[in-house]
Amino acid sequence: MFGYVEPDKPELKIREFELFRGYYCSLCKTLGRSYGQISRLSLNYDLTFLAVLLDSVNEEATHGKVERCIAHPVRKRYTVTSNRFVEYAADMNIILTYYNLKDKWSDEKNVLGALGSAALRRAFKKAAGRNREKTERIEGLLGEVDRLEKEKCASIDEAAEPFACIMREVFRCPHVCDEKKRKVLGWLGYNIGKWIYILDAWDDLEDDAKSGSYNAILEQFRYDGGNIDEFKAGIRERIDFSLTYSLSECEKAYALLGAVKNTGIIDNIIYSGLIVKTDKVLQGRCSKNEGSVQGFGG
Amino acid sequence: MKDPYKVLGVKPGASYDEIKKAYRELVKKYHPDRYRDNPLADLAEEKMREINEAYEYLMKNAGNYQYQSESYDNSGSSQSGSYGAQYQSRQSGQYQTQYEYQDESDLERQVRAYINSGNLNEAQRILDRMRNRNAVWYYLQGLIFVRRGWYDRGYTNIQRAVNMDPTNYEFRNTLNNLNNQSYGYRSNPYYTNVTQREYDMCQICGTLWCADSLCECMGGDLIRCC
Repeated sequence: MFGYVEPDKPELKIREFELFRGYYCSLCKTLGRSYGQISRLSLNYDLTFLAVLLDSVNEEATHGKVERCIAHPVRKRYTVTSNRFVEYAADMNIILTYYNLKDKWSDEKNVLGALGSAALRRAFKKAAGRNREKTERIEGLLGEVDRLEKEKCASIDEAAEPFACIMREVFRCPHVCDEKKRKVLGWLGYNIGKWIYILDAWDDLEDDAKSGSYNAILEQFRYDGGNIDEFKAGIRERIDFSLTYSLSECEKAYALLGAVKNTGIIDNIIYSGLIVKTDKVLQGRCSKNEGSVQGFGG
Repeated sequence: MKDPYKVLGVKPGASYDEIKKAYRELVKKYHPDRYRDNPLADLAEEKMREINEAYEYLMKNAGNYQYQSESYDNSGSSQSGSYGAQYQSRQSGQYQTQYEYQDESDLERQVRAYINSGNLNEAQRILDRMRNRNAVWYYLQGLIFVRRGWYDRGYTNIQRAVNMDPTNYEFRNTLNNLNNQSYGYRSNPYYTNVTQREYDMCQICGTLWCADSLCECMGGDLIRCC
């Protein structure tokens, strides 16, 4: 379900790219330090975006140094010095990944899910202990996700709601002192969550149609087993509206956030990265044939 | 008061044109129309007030009379051409006085008041009690959904209201606004840059469709058949 939030790399300045990677490395090392080496494998760009975004309202200057690391033993890399926002993003990364893996095991009997969640169990307990209230709320909302799935909920809005609320919880970081900023972050998170859920459902349409798994889009538009490409063509515009409107709300929230730093990267993601990703997923297979120039090598 | 130069994002001693340009950009960014049907509308209002104050301050107190005489006066406001007066009247009216609602029942008025104050649960509760599911009902239901973040259902309900009563200006205006929000987001300069990398039929059709909608918005028409 994760990994959709990416910068639009060709439009990123080298300096911004270095900084983004600096946050990525910082999160990765924080994970290693707090939760053990294996937890570092769980890191993704969505949570890197969270760290960059949360730190953007932090008025303290960003520090960093050039360090060596296990994943890149040859070349040293710039790493942002960890702070409470990076640590919070690392906690959230553990909590979300753990639930995601657990879900994969219970739904699809995915063996990797079972192994992964077992490996992360201790880390999860520690992260949950540090964010008790958040974890409780997230767990409750995940129950809602399951319930709607079992009931075969036939509305994308309704089906996306609990996941969007989870992202609202995740983005409303308690370390951001200003209540108004937390509200803005919450709305931004809600809309990112909504976007991720619907985009992911679209991305899975073919597979779910074949396997008969639950998919909110298939339910809402009453897929009858016909040609999937025709089905997609018939509803593309409507899904596009929901996705683009959610992103326009993210942008409006971001405009009110009053970020004091990292604006180059966040502008790139909010104004371009997310919509480029939307188009790429919406167009489905076509984009691969066209030899799309986007993509994030890492 | 915050540093007006900082609020407008210009350097101290910036020229009249620079200040005006920055001001116009910010007004576009935080305009109440953009934050209609948005739970952060109050924060956008606050920001607008700050921007207007900063602009007026610079116009009055910069010791530069040239500023005042040339000021941008497009909004019907006499104070150094800021959006202030227009904006405040809009705020006190809460969008209710703009349109005529003499025939509306008390319940409808209550629903609108609750939507405006952000109490969506209460608005929904009253709406559920209403028996007469006319165009206004679907319109209000659509507004609640949009405010909640349920855009697909919101759009469908407002579309339905427009279909039931195509002559209603408010319904059409809201529907156009929803379309314009997503179009506006896609046409931001950052992304426009990107689309130049891969320009295709879809983009051309989209642009034409949007130009058509915008023309229709203003009472004209670009493409007759749609």
